[in-house]
Amino acid sequence: MQKLTWQMQLLISMVLGSVAISTLWPLFYVLVTSSRTLNDYLNNLYGIPREFTLSNFKILWDNYSLGLAARNTIEVVGISMICCLSLSSLAAFGLAKYPYRGSKYVNWAFIAVMLLPSTVLIIPIYLVLSKLQLVGHLPGLMIVYIATNIPFSVFFLRAAFKAVPDSILEAARIDGAGFFRAFRSIAMPSVLASFTTLAVLQFLGMWNELLYAYLILPDQSTRLLTPALANIGGRYTSNPPLVAAALVITATPTLVLLAFSSKYLVRGVTSGIGSS
Amino acid sequence: MTKTLERAAGIQPGTGARSKRRKNSLTRQRERIGMLASLPALIFVMALMFFPIGFATWLSFEKTNGVYYHFIGIKNYTSIFSSPLVHQVFRTNLKFLIAIPIVITLGSLTSVLLYQEIYGWRFYRLVFFLPSVLSASVTGIIFRTAFTYDGPVNSALKLFGFQPINFLVHANSAIFVISLALVWAGFGYAMLILLSGLTAIDTDIFLAAQVDGAGWWRQFQYIVIPSIRNQLVFVTTINIMYTFTSLFGFIFVMTAGGPLFSTTTVDYLVFQKAFSSQDMGEGSALAILVFGIIALLTLTQAKYLRTDAQD
Repeated sequence: MQKLTWQMQLLISMVLGSVAISTLWPLFYVLVTSSRTLNDYLNNLYGIPREFTLSNFKILWDNYSLGLAARNTIEVVGISMICCLSLSSLAAFGLAKYPYRGSKYVNWAFIAVMLLPSTVLIIPIYLVLSKLQLVGHLPGLMIVYIATNIPFSVFFLRAAFKAVPDSILEAARIDGAGFFRAFRSIAMPSVLASFTTLAVLQFLGMWNELLYAYLILPDQSTRLLTPALANIGGRYTSNPPLVAAALVITATPTLVLLAFSSKYLVRGVTSGIGSS
Repeated sequence: MTKTLERAAGIQPGTGARSKRRKNSLTRQRERIGMLASLPALIFVMALMFFPIGFATWLSFEKTNGVYYHFIGIKNYTSIFSSPLVHQVFRTNLKFLIAIPIVITLGSLTSVLLYQEIYGWRFYRLVFFLPSVLSASVTGIIFRTAFTYDGPVNSALKLFGFQPINFLVHANSAIFVISLALVWAGFGYAMLILLSGLTAIDTDIFLAAQVDGAGWWRQFQYIVIPSIRNQLVFVTTINIMYTFTSLFGFIFVMTAGGPLFSTTTVDYLVFQKAFSSQDMGEGSALAILVFGIIALLTLTQAKYLRTDAQD
């Protein structure tokens, strides 16, 4: 495309720069606020902080059991991801390389519910889980996360497995490798990049989820981070440093992940649609 | 999609022409393996996605509080279609569509600039995408704090001699603030999708256009936009769907649907009917209605996507 003149470049850089500041400044402000005392904050809202403190984090940890919420979240996200990724890779590999009568329809079934919004599912899922006495228990939320993440994962991994050459798999089969051997030693290593991308996307989706987490785990003892944050944010509006600390706890893992995996994320985000 | 599947099936040894007679035992064994491998995932999806859709459809014809069920025909549907609250809620949803043209415009302009590798483009790509990895509750609380009566935005307004505005207690200004949060959180995603379309353009076409004397703006208008048509359609539909199904997190932490239902959206109303009130039949009817809208949008998108560029 035609190069822009340097005057244009300068103008655009200034515009983009201010958009970048509007993105970064709120996050920076939250980070700084989270380490201020309430008094220091109220004395000088936008100035340079005078004291540095971690007491907000300590209060959240001790009095609002955010540590417990963090542990619950890690447990739910971890187990759900392991289950969902293993089930999805098995299914995707089967559908890609071991087609059977009707596998086409199974594949369509996954694609059909890929974009199904949780709005449609919350009432019936809530009723089913309460019938099974799973409301208020971590496994209840786990099975929901596993199931709702499977369709896209299968769709995504199936495309990756299809790109693995049949000749390699055939050679392995002749050498006596069975399904699991071929899956573990050949198929998985060749789709590792896609697999990582998917794992990152799944982590973000589950970590940030609010609706199911709020609905299925309403009790304090089993609450996850996002509902706990929403609760603290709604109740302590007069104590911004405390809310800021809760924001930092919830947002840090996702931002750190972005810093380390932006390459994979960029791939993952743009791969959903048929463009090449 | 079908073509690919058939092609894939054709590659497999043992299928194709021979399978018409009798499948050898090896092929049958492979089929069994494929079936067993995909079964666990399928069971999960059947039990927790397909069954609930059916269950919700059935519920939408019942009056229920979750314990007692009583068939009432299409009464839930007639009552939501005639309810002023539901009308108001859908109008609110339509107001949130205002965020979409802004997201698309910002997304396409920034993606073209990144494509041109403007100075610092890697930095911008990361920074603009950054809000997309934040939870809606995080973004929502940040914006609510920024726009409270004694928050930073009003301080800035006062600094320039304007009257402070109580943003979150009036319906339209609250919708404005939430839309702003949507743009902030969403345009980076649009930018990346559009950028992926741009990188697929054959660069010779720009040289040809330059030979013909087309300037930057004309190239943007006549080459870039038509070339990323698919991505534009995709981003638009995904954002419309989002407006009807995923505002819950923002509404929940920013206004809780108030004041007086004036910022309640369809998904938030379904949530309220499921949880706060005991009206699950009507909630399900609403959910089925949303399901219909989403299905319609998906089919429309499929129609407008140029298929030759696919797969």
